[in-house]
Order: sequence, then structure tokens, then C-alpha cells
Amino acid sequence: MARTKIHVGLEIGTSKICMVVGEVKSDGSVKILGVGQSKSVGVRKGEIYDFPQVRACVKDALVKAEDASDVEVGSVFLAVTGAHIQGINNRGSFRLPDGENTIEQEHVNEAKEIARSVAIPQDHVYLHHIIRRFGVDGYEHASSPVGLSGKTVDSDFHVVHGIRSRIENQIKCVREMPLDVDDLVFSPIATAQVALDREARDRGALVIDIGGGTTDYALYLDGVIEASGCIPVGGDHITNDIHLVTGLPFSKAEILKVREGDASGDPARSVGTAKVVDEKGFSDAEVKRQLLNDIIRQRLEETMRLLLARLPSGAMEHVGTGVFLAGGTSLMRGFGELAHEVFGRDIYRPEPPELSGVQASFKDPQFTTALGLIRYAQIVESERAPKRGMLGRLWPFSR
Amino acid sequence: MIEFPQDPQNTIPTSSVKIVGLGGAGANMLDRVALDGLDGAELLALNTDIRTLSGSVAGERIQLGRNLTKGLGTGGDPDLGNQAVLEAEDELRAALKGRKIVFICVGLGGGTGSGAAPIVARVAREEGAFVVMFATMPFVFEGRRRREQAETALNELAVLSNALVTFDNSRMGELVLAKQGIHEAFAAADRMISESIKAVIRLVVRPGLINIGLDDLMSALRTTRSRCLFGSGIARGKDRAQKALRNALSSPLLDEGALLEDAETVLVHLCGGEDLTLFEIELLMESLSKFVPKKAHVLFGAAIDPTMNDQLSVTLVSSLPEERLRQVQPRGEAGAAIASVSTLEPSVGFDAEEEPEPEPEPEPEVLKVVEEPAPEPEPAMISLSAADVDDDSWIQASEKNDAEEASETIEEKEEVIEDEEPGFFAEPESEDEPAPDEEPKEEAFVAKLEEPDDDESPFAEYESHSKSQASHIPRFNKAEVAKRKFAAPKSGEDEIFDSAFDELEELPDNKPTKKAGHPQGELSFEGGPRGRFEGASPSVFEGEDLDVPAFLRKKRK
Repeated sequence: MARTKIHVGLEIGTSKICMVVGEVKSDGSVKILGVGQSKSVGVRKGEIYDFPQVRACVKDALVKAEDASDVEVGSVFLAVTGAHIQGINNRGSFRLPDGENTIEQEHVNEAKEIARSVAIPQDHVYLHHIIRRFGVDGYEHASSPVGLSGKTVDSDFHVVHGIRSRIENQIKCVREMPLDVDDLVFSPIATAQVALDREARDRGALVIDIGGGTTDYALYLDGVIEASGCIPVGGDHITNDIHLVTGLPFSKAEILKVREGDASGDPARSVGTAKVVDEKGFSDAEVKRQLLNDIIRQRLEETMRLLLARLPSGAMEHVGTGVFLAGGTSLMRGFGELAHEVFGRDIYRPEPPELSGVQASFKDPQFTTALGLIRYAQIVESERAPKRGMLGRLWPFSR
Repeated sequence: MIEFPQDPQNTIPTSSVKIVGLGGAGANMLDRVALDGLDGAELLALNTDIRTLSGSVAGERIQLGRNLTKGLGTGGDPDLGNQAVLEAEDELRAALKGRKIVFICVGLGGGTGSGAAPIVARVAREEGAFVVMFATMPFVFEGRRRREQAETALNELAVLSNALVTFDNSRMGELVLAKQGIHEAFAAADRMISESIKAVIRLVVRPGLINIGLDDLMSALRTTRSRCLFGSGIARGKDRAQKALRNALSSPLLDEGALLEDAETVLVHLCGGEDLTLFEIELLMESLSKFVPKKAHVLFGAAIDPTMNDQLSVTLVSSLPEERLRQVQPRGEAGAAIASVSTLEPSVGFDAEEEPEPEPEPEPEVLKVVEEPAPEPEPAMISLSAADVDDDSWIQASEKNDAEEASETIEEKEEVIEDEEPGFFAEPESEDEPAPDEEPKEEAFVAKLEEPDDDESPFAEYESHSKSQASHIPRFNKAEVAKRKFAAPKSGEDEIFDSAFDELEELPDNKPTKKAGHPQGELSFEGGPRGRFEGASPSVFEGEDLDVPAFLRKKRK
């Protein structure tokens, strides 16, 4: 590809809306041209519940992104999440007709078709079909087995699906900007594009994106995706918990959470009281650290344990690299210790590689997903030469 | 001629209800009914296979074809099933003697079910019972032959039984999620049938403000050769009227209300706690009218049952002539599944059988007999609640109460289930049946907990409450309370019988004050506070509401 290509990623999060404009150069490197960010109103647990407000916020982010990057944005890659989205693995086998023993493309397609027709509820729609691996007569192949000889072809898919109307409404919201949607990406898959390199995936890694309203996760083993999903609990819940237990207003609870909270469970950090001081120097909210930290820790610990319970059993033992944390809530003090305690693996905060441009903001784990969208766009672009429509969406790469 | 003795109250004590499970599938349905605790009605299991028969929980069992099959099954041969039941016809007739309603649960397609069901239905009709048939059709994958056997039997049953409710096993997938186990799918189908049975019993047994009796039920199901449309839903909380209706319409037998469009007669029965308002009823009927054609005859019934607390149950019963069902078929794929049952033409052999059947005659006569006593059920109830009751009606009343008690505890269970999961697939928790004596106390407690924290002021609510009580409760309430008190003898303590009766007069007065004494502020604590997530769809995971602080949940344990 001779010319450079500009991709835009849009993430409508529970706490913020973020639009990233990136330029993919001909040598494959990515340069971030600009970031537009706006506080998000009208989103709860990753899903839009107040459309006019969200439209206004997206508009704001769009204007900022266009300003910063000096690019007119026409279409975006949209990250979607929500508790209704789930990922499952399915395997399809196709036995070659008698008399043929060379695998043709049509046989592979047939096996894919069988694998993809996994029983999903009627009101659900597919988001991704990610081919994990192929197999010929029970022997695993990483890439397409066309041309090999064998009797049966297997294809192993990771299928991500969610409720049709909710997904369509998110698209609708973006279309009204007006912006085109190039593709929908389940958030943790986008995050994983930035967080994990090939080695991490091969050795096995878990990505946890714990944001404002949801905790998204994607597990990679042996280089391919093994599980993905979303738990509708995030940073907002912590603020809400503090509000409910202590009776402090949301604003104060939020400040306490961000400035003083600690999730490590270390008794040494739970001594004394935490105060919120207003601009005149009066302390107008005071909470025992022990209580504050207990609230935060119990919430996060429960969430991590829920997540662990949702992963296929025994999967964590195969994770060689470790757990990658992303999302705003992963900035919580002591969260790394907590995650280590729960998962018993090394804990990483991802640092986006090979990006040039406005560097400052990219270290922030809040932007991981939006950056991942650019990365995703780059991969999709290079994989599929003829551009396909929204519906013929297939993501034909495994790593 | 079919005899139908007059019943002065037009209500039916559960002792005259018999539920018959026929064949292997029927036994499973019967087990489900028994598990759900319908202990008032008698259960009768019929089977050729002695092994499944001995495994049944039914109180009465009759082995079919003792000499013919010698304790084995019929091997899928309906003729064998037919002969087997004829062998035991006298036994069967004795078991069904004097029953007013007989429910027959059968899985069609096999030998015993398909072969014996028409005979059992005929015997029950000859004994003067109102026969409601619940039949399941075999899966499509079970093959053409079984399907045809089922079709043949179904066509016969449509003529022989007063009401026929069919459920197509192929539609079982709609009841459960794809990933749920097969046992759950079967349990869900059985549960649906057992719920239908209970709803029909509830309808006929419990006298209401606007009463609906057997006569109404029969006119709703009047058309011979028809399929019964049936839906039942329970809901609570703010917009319970809408929710209950939605639940009722979501019954696979109704196809989201689409099938009601062609109904000529629709029976609607509402049952709510003491806070059931006229406004709610209007609201519900209005939204129901969107599904029901304007010219349709709507038979409306309502009952107040204090033990329903803040719940509201809706039962829809209607019937559709088979020709209509065929027309409906192209409309929706869900409708097609039911309709496909009837699209196959009745076989020639069956047509020949049909002729001697005097089908149109018995129907109107039965109706006439039943309609006569209709106007005066309520006075009868009142005299029952008054203190001077003679011994006979005393027994009758207590019998009835047992049944009432049973159906109520069932409802409570249903409610537990509904809370946990929107569908009705959770396993019933049968341990938590409250002891009858504790019930009034507990009810007050529950009411305290669960009254929704609406924007309505407590006073407004109480006003409407007391108003509705003023208008219709006084005479009614006594009867209801009396019933709950009567439940005590069930546990064998006959002495408290009298004292319970004395207390009767005071209790209704106490009740409203008890309720008014509790402000609504405390009520929202049911699942714990949810702060900013109040009103959002809850994220329930393994029975825990994730929106409630983990901190508070852990502490409560």
C-alpha cells in the first residue's frame, strides 16, 4: 500500500467518550494525529440509555478530534460493550465427500458455516466470528488448510454475539452524527490489540479492561482467543458503593475514591481517616480509611472473582505471560496487588508500542481501547483487501 | 346422555377433581403437578409399563393390560395401548366415578398415550366429568410414523374431550435458552402444563367478585374440535398489570397474542391481592383489547385473594376452531408449529370412527345444566363464613380450604421463581412453605417489605386500599380469612378449630391498621439500595444483585 490511511476509533464509554484519529503509514507504523475526549452522560454500564445526551457528547468529541488532528472524520470503528455481549467457542467439522481427498476452499467454507451456526438466541446478532484454528483429520493447523489432503476439515471459531436491538441502537446513535460505522469491535478485543503482542498471546494472557461501567475481558491462549465477555460492574459501582455506605454525595465519593482509595487490603494503608477538603480549606467529608478501602476492595475483589469464575476452568493455569490491566479503574492504588492475589499471575499495565505522535495521553490506560481500535482497523485493512459491507463481516485472522 | 349433576355453588371442591397421567410422558407431567404441590386434587397414573408406573408419585395407579402386555410397555403400538386400556376399563370407571373435572395428561405418539387416551376420555365423559386434555405432540425428529399416530389420536381427542390443550414438543426450544440442559426443557414443558391445570382449577374453585365458573369456561371452550389457547401470568410491582399480561401472552400456546385475533370467546380471569384497583383492571383490559377482536365475547372474571399480597395473576383461556388454526399458519413461524399439528388431514380410518360419535348433542345440554346455578355463588359463600354452619358444608369448606391453601403456596413459590429469573425455569423451592398458622403474620411482614417505593404517597395508596376494601372486602374478607384459619386442621389440631372460628370476626378489622402502621420508607430495602443504578435493569449474577454494594452484601451474610 503506497499511500497512508487514516482510521478513526470511537469508544462510547460509561465515563468518557473518546475518539482517536490515527494514521497508518505505508510501513505499517501508526501515528496518532489527534484525540477528542468528552465526558460521557447518558451511558450506564456501557450501554446508552439517554440518546440526546450521548449524541451531544459524541458531537463534542468529534469536534475536538477533528480540531486536534485537522482531519475530517467520515467513518469510525466503533467499540461496543455491555453485559448482553458474550463470546463462545464453537467447532465445526466437515467430512469431505467420498472420492475427494484434497481440501478445497468450498470445504473449508462449509466447515466454517457449520461452526458459525452456533445456537444463539433469536434476538441476538453476531459481532465477530474469529477463526481460532483449523484442523485436518484431528491435527491442528493454524492457517487455512486449502490444498492439503485429508478426510475431514475442522474449524474452530470464537463467536461474539449480543442483543440485536441494543447493538443497532448504538450504531444508530453514531450514524446520526452523521458518521459511518466501518466496523463494530467488542471492546476487550480492541484492547487486546494494543495490550498484547504476539509473544504474550502465544504464551497466554488475560486482558482486563475495567472501565467506568463495565469490566471487559479477553483471554488468549496459544496465540488465539479463548474467551471474552463483559461484567456490568465498573468504577461507577465503587463510587456508588461509597455513596451508599457512607452517605456522602456522589461528587465527594468520587474524589475520595480517586484520591484516597486503595484496594490492596494492606492494613498499613488503612490507618487514620481520609478527608475531602474544599477550596476554602474546610474538610467537608471525612471517612475512615479502613471503611473506604474495605468498600473498594470488596467490590473489586468480587468483580475479579466473578471474572475468574467465568473463564473456562483451568484456563488460568495456562496463562504464561500474565494479566494485563487497562481502563480507568485499573489506576486504583493497590489494584495490582489485588489482581495478583486473585489470579496468581504477573500483572502488567499495558504500554502501547510503536506509536508516534502526541505521546502524553497514550500512557494512560483509559485510552487503551480507543487506541486498540486503530490497531484493529489496521489489521482488518491489511487482511481484507476488498472492502466488505457491515453484514458480510468476517474477521479472518487469528493473531 | 351425559349427566351433569347440579352444583348449588357452581364451584367445585378439589376432591372432585382428578388428574390423570397416561403413559410415560403423562406420568412425568403428573410428577411435576405433584411436585408443585397441588395436594387437594387426586392424582391417578395409568400405564402399561409397570416399572414407570411404580416410580410414579401418584396416589392411585392402575396398570393397563395386565394380561396383554404383562407389565411391559406397548412398544409404540397404539392398538396394543387401546386393547390394554379396555382390559382395565372397569377399574378406570370406578376411579373416575363422580368426578366433576378430569384432567388427562398424555404424551401422544407412543403406544399407551395415543392408544389409550381416547378411551380414557370417553370413560371420563361417560362418568359425567368435564374433560380437559393436555396432550404433547412428539418431536419432529421422532419421525413421520409417530407423528401420524399422534395426529390420529389428537383428532379423536378433539371430539371426545371438552377442552384440548396441545403442546408441540418441537417448540420446547422456545421455553428455555439454547444452552440449558434437556431436563430443564422437559421440566419447563411439564411445568407449563401443571401451571395450566392449576390455573383452570383456581378459576373454577375460587369464587370471585365477578365470578367465573365452569359454565363460562365451557362457553370459552365451546367449539368442539378446537384447540385451546391458554396463557397465565403472575407479576408484582409497579406496572404489574402490564407485566402479568405480558407473561400470560408469552405462553407458547398464544404466540404472543397473535392467535387471539381469531378468537370468538375469550375468558379473562384476574386475581389480585386486596390492593387490586379498578384502574389496574381497566388498564389491563385495555391493553388486552388490542389482541382480542372487537366482536369477541369477553368473559371477565376477577377475584380478590389476600394471600396474593401485591401480586396480580392473569389467566387467558380461549379456543380456536381447527380451520382457523390452519389459516393462522402462514402468519408467523411460531404459529406454524402449533398449526402444523392440525394441517395433516385426519386419516380415513379416523373419519369412519368419527361418525357414530354424537358430538354436537351433549355439549349444549351440559351447558344448560351448569348455567342455571350461576347467579348465586356469593350468598353461598357468605353463609359459609357465618358461624352457623352445619356439618356437611363444614367439611366441604375445609376441603376447599385445603385446596386454596395449596394453590396459594404454589403461587408463592412461583413468585420466588420469578424473582430469581425472568423465565420460569428455576427449580421450585419446596422447603419454604410457611406453616399455615404463621401465614397472616408473615403476610404482613412481606407486605411491609415489598410495597414498592413508588412516587405515590403512602396515604394515597392506603386510601385506595381502604376504599376498595370498603366496597367489596367486608363480606368477602371474612370468608377468605376464615379459609386461612381453617387451614389449621390440616395439621391435625382439631381443637383450635373453634377458637380459630371465634377470632374470625376480629381479624379483618386488624388487618388494615397493621398495614397502615408501616411507613413506606423502609420498604426499598428488599434487595439493598442501588443508588444511581436505581431503575436500571439489574445485573443479577448467581442470585446476587451486582448493583448493591459488595460491602453491604457480604455483611448481610
